[in-house]
Amino acid sequence: MCVGLSAKVVSVEEGTAVIEAGGAKRNVSADLIDDLEPGDYVMVHAGVAIAKITDDDENEAAEVMKGI
Amino acid sequence: MTEIIENAREIITGYSGRHLRIMEVCGTHTHEIFRLGIRSLLPEDVELISGPGCPVCVTPVGYIDEAVMLALEKGAVVCTFGDLIRVPGTEMSLAGARSKGADIRPVYSPLDAVDIASQERDKQVVFLAVGFETTTPSACLAVKRAKKLGLSNFSILTANKTMPNAYRALMGSADAFLYPGHVNAITGTAICEEMKELGVSGVVAGFTANELMTALAVTIEKSKTGEPFFENCYPRVVKAEGNIPAQKLMAEVMTPCDSEWRGLGVIKMSGMALREEYADFDARKKFALPAVTGRANPACRCGEVLQGKCKPSDCKVFGKVCTPEHPVGACMVSNEGACSAYYQYGGGNIIKGDN
Amino acid sequence: MDNVVTLAHGAGGKQTSELIDRVFKAHFANPDLTADDAAVLEVEKGRIAFTTDGFIVSPFEFNGGNIGKLSICGTVNDLSCMGAKPEYLTCSFVIEEGFPMDKLEEIAAAMEKTAKEAGVVIAAGDTKVAGKGQVDKIFITTTGIGRIMDCAHTSGAFAKPGDAVIVTGDVGRHGCTILVARDEYGIDADVSSDCAPLWANVKAMYDVTDDIHVIRDATRGGVGTVLYEIAGQSNVGIRLDQEKIPVDDAVRGVCGMLGLEPLYLACEGRLVIFAPKEKAEDIVAALRKCKNSENAAVIGEVTSENAGRVVMTTAIGAQTLLPQPTGELLPRIC
Repeated sequence: MCVGLSAKVVSVEEGTAVIEAGGAKRNVSADLIDDLEPGDYVMVHAGVAIAKITDDDENEAAEVMKGI
Repeated sequence: MTEIIENAREIITGYSGRHLRIMEVCGTHTHEIFRLGIRSLLPEDVELISGPGCPVCVTPVGYIDEAVMLALEKGAVVCTFGDLIRVPGTEMSLAGARSKGADIRPVYSPLDAVDIASQERDKQVVFLAVGFETTTPSACLAVKRAKKLGLSNFSILTANKTMPNAYRALMGSADAFLYPGHVNAITGTAICEEMKELGVSGVVAGFTANELMTALAVTIEKSKTGEPFFENCYPRVVKAEGNIPAQKLMAEVMTPCDSEWRGLGVIKMSGMALREEYADFDARKKFALPAVTGRANPACRCGEVLQGKCKPSDCKVFGKVCTPEHPVGACMVSNEGACSAYYQYGGGNIIKGDN
Repeated sequence: MDNVVTLAHGAGGKQTSELIDRVFKAHFANPDLTADDAAVLEVEKGRIAFTTDGFIVSPFEFNGGNIGKLSICGTVNDLSCMGAKPEYLTCSFVIEEGFPMDKLEEIAAAMEKTAKEAGVVIAAGDTKVAGKGQVDKIFITTTGIGRIMDCAHTSGAFAKPGDAVIVTGDVGRHGCTILVARDEYGIDADVSSDCAPLWANVKAMYDVTDDIHVIRDATRGGVGTVLYEIAGQSNVGIRLDQEKIPVDDAVRGVCGMLGLEPLYLACEGRLVIFAPKEKAEDIVAALRKCKNSENAAVIGEVTSENAGRVVMTTAIGAQTLLPQPTGELLPRIC
């Protein structure tokens, strides 16, 4: 239901973050994540950073597979 | 192909046993599952059902009629996610209204609609606020920003929906849910634990090839025990507590209400409406819109499709009268709608060969 | 002379001659450019390819080109796809009243430069000025003829099972550039149009083999649309390898943000080629030596099964249909 884009935070200023994904940049709202910093990775949906990403999907998948 | 995917693939393709019905609740999952060709790998005993998690698909016809009325009769600039533009209303879609001269603008974010309102103060700007918990915070941020800027020409037409009561309404439709990862990123996973207590299994799934394949492998593996289970297979994004600032924001700006889901009917307390303090930003109140009851095409079986009671190809109009170019039902309009995905990807069954 | 185009420039009088002399003759002058009602050209014996194309693009200038460059490339590439060496072009302008004269100059200069690069001669032209609001700034139509090489026999109906499918570079860059240039979605990306004339590239392929079945330039609707056209016209299936399709990082980023598929974004300097598998390596090697096709790659093959369809082998080693492109491209959140 919700296309998400994982992107790198380039800069943060007054509730707005510049994010970058593969050379494409855009301003998004940083209002929903406390203490966001340049270099963090976030999941972006509809112009809003909705979550901080804590790992890449390869590691994550490896961890998940260990559980079964 | 990575080793992880190979392992997951072995578990999925090697399954045989009790027939498993797995519902991908989220339309983006439906879309990605088709795009990756996952359906062509499934063994006979595993069935994927496309659930109601596409906001476009569950938005009732009457909502489009309201939006068309705002654009054509009230002369408002209607800003919308691109997904809604071709959804048929009773008389016409927003694309139809645009060809009659209405000012319809696709936007990437509701915050862009606020920018338009602040740049074009002589026009009334309405944002079409559809979506689930993932999307609703962005609409709430837009309303708060408009209020802060003192914009009297911005409002939203709400059709926001929440998942918990829909899950409860769908109990029995499937053996396990693939929970929509980005909804859980906001809400956390308490509802999934609660569903497990009610005997409904599920996993939170992400959207990449790695994530979808491992989520399906976990679902199949855990199902073998016969016990209800819940696993978060998307931990890099989804935390148990969810996004607390987003939850607070939604509670501050909006309040739960009953909501009509196309095909499922009214589900109690499954929608979100603006609180009284933000009534100035409520397009229905601002423009005194009359109560609208849209008329859906009676031949369309989108409702049953959304509940997993029939496949798109079981519907009489599917692929004949109803195509992505001329959609009859909403499930054919959205890229992630079950009917559209079935149509575009040939039902996932046509492509056989050397898999 | 005025600094904007006025209705008087289109009225056929003194100002019209002024405009033609200063802008068009200045850039297009050559022995074949006619001052009469029609150009008179020597025709060699043989087969002639003949085509026309209209260009409207908003904005009319963008990173990597402008509508002038585009209008030459489009027609030159259409001729080249038939194995025809582009010889002569005509160009017809419809200009909106008030259009800046310096921009018109830039457009004419780009046409001059691109025509030279493609080795094609502009032999005749026409200019009309339309009232404010009657056209969107500037429309250009070019018509071209080219001489088909004796060795060339291409058609969309000639693809055969066993053919390799080749693209001459990364896909969707022009469409993505225009999307970013329109600035409707607030996205900033370092991406420039692939717009380029490709006769030299076609010639380089024929220098290594005559055995080329289909050449088509992927413009509107992108490579995905071309593949469906060929699958239909030749009544064959096409199997693509998702991971082999070259896509620029910025294009992938923009598409990720807006939920779009790069295969459906327009190109203006990319060819899709169908040729026997045994020849593919030589063709790709020849293309890689040419400007504008340094990243040529084999992206798939033609099959007898799944006729009329395009199938992708995905990252998980499964098969899926490439959905057919429909309607306008709209960004999606879901």
